Amino acid sequence: MSNNDIKKTGKSFLSMFKRLFVRDKTEINVLEEEALRTPFKMVMSKLVRSKMALIGFFGFIAILLFSFVGSMIWPLDRTYTELTNMNLRPSRNFLRMPRSLNNKNVVKVVSGVSFSVALTDDGNLTMWGTECNIARESIADLIFDIPDAVKDAFIVDVEAGMRFIICKDKDGKFYGWGHSGHDQAKLPTDVKRIMDVRGSNIVKMEAGTLWSAALGHDGYLYVWGSRQAVNSFIVPGSLEGRIVDFAAGESNMALILDDGTLRVIGARGTEYFDNVPAELTDGSVQVAEVVSTSRNVLARDTNGHLYLWGSSIDGLLNMPEDLVPDKIIDIDAGYKNFVVVKDDGSVYIWGADDLKQLNVPQNLKGVTRVFADAFQFYAANDNGEIVGAWGNKGYIWGSDQFGRDIFTRIIHGGRISLTVGAVAVVISVTISIFIGLTSGFFGGWVDHGLMRLADIFDSIPFLPLAITLSYVIGFDMSESAKLYFIMLILGVLSWTGLARLIRAQLLLEREKDFVLAARALGIKQQGIMVRHILPNVFSYVIVSVTLSYAGMILTEAGLSFLGFGVKEPTPSWGNMLTSAEHSAVIAHYWWRWIIPALFVVAAALSINMLGDALREAMDPKSEER
Amino acid sequence: MIKYIIKRVVILIPVLIGISIILFIVSKMMPGDPVRMMLPLTIKPENYDAAYETMRARLGLDKSVVEQYFRWMYNIIIEGDLGFSALFRRPVVECIGEPLKNTIILNACINVLYLIIALPVGIRMAVKRGSLFDNGWQVFSLATYSVPSFFLALSLIFIFSITLGWLPLSGMPNASLLGGFDLFISWVRHLILPVVTLTIISLAGAIRYIRNAMIDALSQDYIRTARSKGLSEKVVIYSHAFRNALIPISTIIVGVIFSLFAGSAITEAVFSYHGIGRLLVTAVQGRDTMLVISMNLIFSVINVTAVLAADIVYGLIDPRIKLK
Repeated sequence: MSNNDIKKTGKSFLSMFKRLFVRDKTEINVLEEEALRTPFKMVMSKLVRSKMALIGFFGFIAILLFSFVGSMIWPLDRTYTELTNMNLRPSRNFLRMPRSLNNKNVVKVVSGVSFSVALTDDGNLTMWGTECNIARESIADLIFDIPDAVKDAFIVDVEAGMRFIICKDKDGKFYGWGHSGHDQAKLPTDVKRIMDVRGSNIVKMEAGTLWSAALGHDGYLYVWGSRQAVNSFIVPGSLEGRIVDFAAGESNMALILDDGTLRVIGARGTEYFDNVPAELTDGSVQVAEVVSTSRNVLARDTNGHLYLWGSSIDGLLNMPEDLVPDKIIDIDAGYKNFVVVKDDGSVYIWGADDLKQLNVPQNLKGVTRVFADAFQFYAANDNGEIVGAWGNKGYIWGSDQFGRDIFTRIIHGGRISLTVGAVAVVISVTISIFIGLTSGFFGGWVDHGLMRLADIFDSIPFLPLAITLSYVIGFDMSESAKLYFIMLILGVLSWTGLARLIRAQLLLEREKDFVLAARALGIKQQGIMVRHILPNVFSYVIVSVTLSYAGMILTEAGLSFLGFGVKEPTPSWGNMLTSAEHSAVIAHYWWRWIIPALFVVAAALSINMLGDALREAMDPKSEER
Repeated sequence: MIKYIIKRVVILIPVLIGISIILFIVSKMMPGDPVRMMLPLTIKPENYDAAYETMRARLGLDKSVVEQYFRWMYNIIIEGDLGFSALFRRPVVECIGEPLKNTIILNACINVLYLIIALPVGIRMAVKRGSLFDNGWQVFSLATYSVPSFFLALSLIFIFSITLGWLPLSGMPNASLLGGFDLFISWVRHLILPVVTLTIISLAGAIRYIRNAMIDALSQDYIRTARSKGLSEKVVIYSHAFRNALIPISTIIVGVIFSLFAGSAITEAVFSYHGIGRLLVTAVQGRDTMLVISMNLIFSVINVTAVLAADIVYGLIDPRIKLK
């Protein structure tokens, strides 16, 4: 049957339908099958039947989609860091309040990086969220290990630092636990003694990352914790005994004095320190309330006017325009946000949105105050019921040493790793094909010279040379230039194997009978090369490309792991693993190395499976048993 | 045969020259001023310029680049002098000695273990082709092919050192504190995890290679002849097939001997093992040009020699190979 006949039967719509759905074996005879099944179709049909190929194919497609589509959905700010949130384990329960809180009157909610504590009017503490500490002798207790003494005591005030909690009971007894590397969670004996001598009763407490502060009823402020903080927060003698309220940022504190004026102490030269509005200090208005984020202050005077100053980062100075400064019933501050509640229950929040802080629920009703402390916000009504919570829910795959979300970095790292591997393969294959074909086609001294060149590249070991080149030439490259350079190194150093294979196949195929037959038919030399020999060589190229793609991904991971690959802060699966050289990371922060490594394995494995199946499918001998 | 060997060696000469030129170019591109790194830190500011010029002349950096290259080659080939490490302030040869010894110890363990496992497994896979045994090891080989060595190393550290606490985390035995049998035990304990890691990683390729060589041998006509003669399966496999499969396998064995000297930068870095691979990373980070280039050169020469040795062994044991 000639080609035309086949085309005719194919044209009939009915017969096509028949061929698709009704299996009629008698219709196709041997010759027809011979004509119909191109080598490509044969390979495809074998591939579809191979379980390994399917798993590999769909696995790889899944990883590809995850990285490329995912990176469009979850954009990455490469230079973002939030050191307070470093090394948080995977979880999404930061905002999940226990049901036991439902019928209770919540007096106060405070939060640290990954946990929140509610104080109820029965003097009990309720905690939720995720553990943020690694228990280490004299440095840190687990935050969820509430001391028994606290459970038994009637607690009247509680404050949360980033990774520790301090509280006091109705007898004025002080408790603290959690991360205490600078003794910030333990009231030092000398401070305690001074308090006792003066007879100060603590009326207000604040807790930062490395320090705690307490205000006595007699106007004295006590700060303890890291030496630096204690030295920075020294209260001038003229203000001692006159403080009635205070709010603390990272390195500055705003104090309200008994005459209604406001003073800022702490680090000089900050906007917090320098930009205090004059009317607050000269006594022309009486300051009623002050709250502070890490670098900004929001103060309210007795007439209800708001004053805002401090750093311009995170948009904290951009107070919502529709916020009219009357009828405000509550102001509070998170780590990077201010919250204001008006008497109609509307909530205004502004500042950073890196952890979904501005994501206020729509259906809040009867809100009279919002508890803000770190990155979590809880809106409460008049009866002390929590009616809504928003802010940082947690990191699904944890956070790294700079407080970056590993999930987003895995997605974008995947994009980088897969792209670097792909480009490197393209470079390497292009060189291989060029050199292999030239060598096999021309033979003679060209072949000889090129093969010696391949010998040279083969003899210099890959990883040492790659490390050396990456460091030597990539030394003062910018981040993106280095990225391209890594692709180039990987590609240029790995062409020899495939080039030799192509050359050998070319020489082998050239001697085969079908080439002789083609030559006898008078087909031109070029035609023989392109139409008869190359297709036979390309099956090897395709298998080699697949397998070397997996190899490239692994090599990039290895190079980046050693610190010679993709430069931070651009993420790649390899450089996310760099810090795992330290045993503390291996032991305590498993999510920081297992997750990226699993992605490397999954990608390499699925590509290898596909490549293996491809090789089997293309090798006619594989069906012989 | 001698002609064959001579021809092989002659072919190597342009390769070696090419390698040395590439490495020389790389060394010229290293960041940092080699003269300044060689100057003692105690030098007085007023003598600095004079000392700088003297050192520059001593290092031969005032000559032309071509002259520098020939001088470098002359020093290596005739005087056996690899240069002076600016990082360790000792001759390169001295810096390499101790790490090389450690790497050889590590690799010797790996190679013995991996030959013991790979040979029987590969042969059995080929003989029982398609069986559960074959498929099981195929999966193993595919899986380990896809696992980066550092992940395997980290996982082993996590399981055996951190969770179970059976083995030391990383590092080296302390020879000054321990002696005799205790030192030996400490060596064994420090070696277990790197040896296991590298053995598993290198097994993947080897068992596939041996399996394929064996399958090739088993599909030959003389095997059919042997079987039709009525020889027992044991004789067919071990006497007829395996001996012929040994020809390609011999390449692996020669490679194994030479791989003793090649350090694994990644694994040695993970286990803080003071081997040659880790030394290279340290040297690159310390911008120690002479040490880096010398190590690359040594690795390359070892590689070239390994290829040569494999070729010669091939020619010796395979009578079919004739000189064309």
